[in-house]
Amino acid sequence: MSSTSQKHKEFVAEPMGEKPVMALAGIGEVLGGKLEEKGFDKAYVVLGQFLVLKKDEELFRDWLKDTCGANAKQQRDCYGCLKEWCDAFL
Amino acid sequence: MPFVEDPACLSKSRLKSDLVAHNVELPPAGSKKEAYVALHLRHVDQTNAADFSSDDDQEHNVAGGDPEGAKELDPSALTDKDLKALLFKYGVKAGPILASTRAVYEKKLRKLLQSAGEGESNEADNAVLYSDSDEEDVSEKDEEKELEGEQEKKSEALELNQQQCNEDPVKDILKDLLPDTKTSPTGIYATPRRPIKGAAQQPIQYAYPDTPVSPTTLERQEVARRLAPVYVQVLVFFAVMCILFFIFVNVENTNSVVSLLERQNQRPDGEEGIPALDETQDAACGEL
Repeated sequence: MSSTSQKHKEFVAEPMGEKPVMALAGIGEVLGGKLEEKGFDKAYVVLGQFLVLKKDEELFRDWLKDTCGANAKQQRDCYGCLKEWCDAFL
Repeated sequence: MPFVEDPACLSKSRLKSDLVAHNVELPPAGSKKEAYVALHLRHVDQTNAADFSSDDDQEHNVAGGDPEGAKELDPSALTDKDLKALLFKYGVKAGPILASTRAVYEKKLRKLLQSAGEGESNEADNAVLYSDSDEEDVSEKDEEKELEGEQEKKSEALELNQQQCNEDPVKDILKDLLPDTKTSPTGIYATPRRPIKGAAQQPIQYAYPDTPVSPTTLERQEVARRLAPVYVQVLVFFAVMCILFFIFVNVENTNSVVSLLERQNQRPDGEEGIPALDETQDAACGEL
């Protein structure tokens, strides 16, 4: 297991508030742009999708791939970041 | 096709474009509309008819093709409720099926349908394995059998071998302690040997190896693995403290020993000094 990225640590460290979707680990400018196009402009909207899929890793990763074409690492980073955030703050 | 167009009603340019679209050679530029209409009737409408027939054939193929395909429903054609019910049938507890989640669940169901064709028998076995009611029934039956067996044993108490003699008192004690063991859902009985066996054979179901662990906890676990266990740490701590204490005490002792030795050394000097004085006094007296 590789160590977590700086972005992951920053996101997990505090409530997400009104952070943009690009604050999520694994979501850069390109994927963030695609997500924003589809209405997922804030991190909490993605969190909503994550929760509505019952925090299921497979389903969420599938969704992320379909929605913005994230690769496996990006999917994993984004899932891990949301999962840990939920463990800490939900 | 929503409606059939009469080629005669179409404009010349429309006819032209239609013919071009159907790869029909256009008549010479100066020809009249009738020529176009005739060509249109001959080629375009025929191809349309052919399209229709081929559509029909396809539909027939789909409908009457393979019965399994017809049985396996297309997930995208299901209602939300049916989709959820089907997912539940395959052991997936689906969340709310919304516009944003439906696609994901359809994909999941498609995957499940594919894998179901390969291992349907396995699933049936699993259903039997994991159903609670069956297990309870089985355990209850076992208990009944056991009770009967026990009664028989008691009736044949004289013929019991030593092992059974050892078993019975234990059983009674356990029953006294735990009078409600009959209804225990874990299937642990008040016999001396069975629970041990069962506990050893049954896998612990409280461990979920697949649960995703966050990287920080993994790091923590790695660090913990390298550290010595707590009791070893405590032991080492006490050992070090004992050594330090002994050293401290010994240092004090040596100090006191040294001082004692010094005192002893001083004392003989003093004793020697006093006789010397006496001698001098004697000498002085002698002189006097």
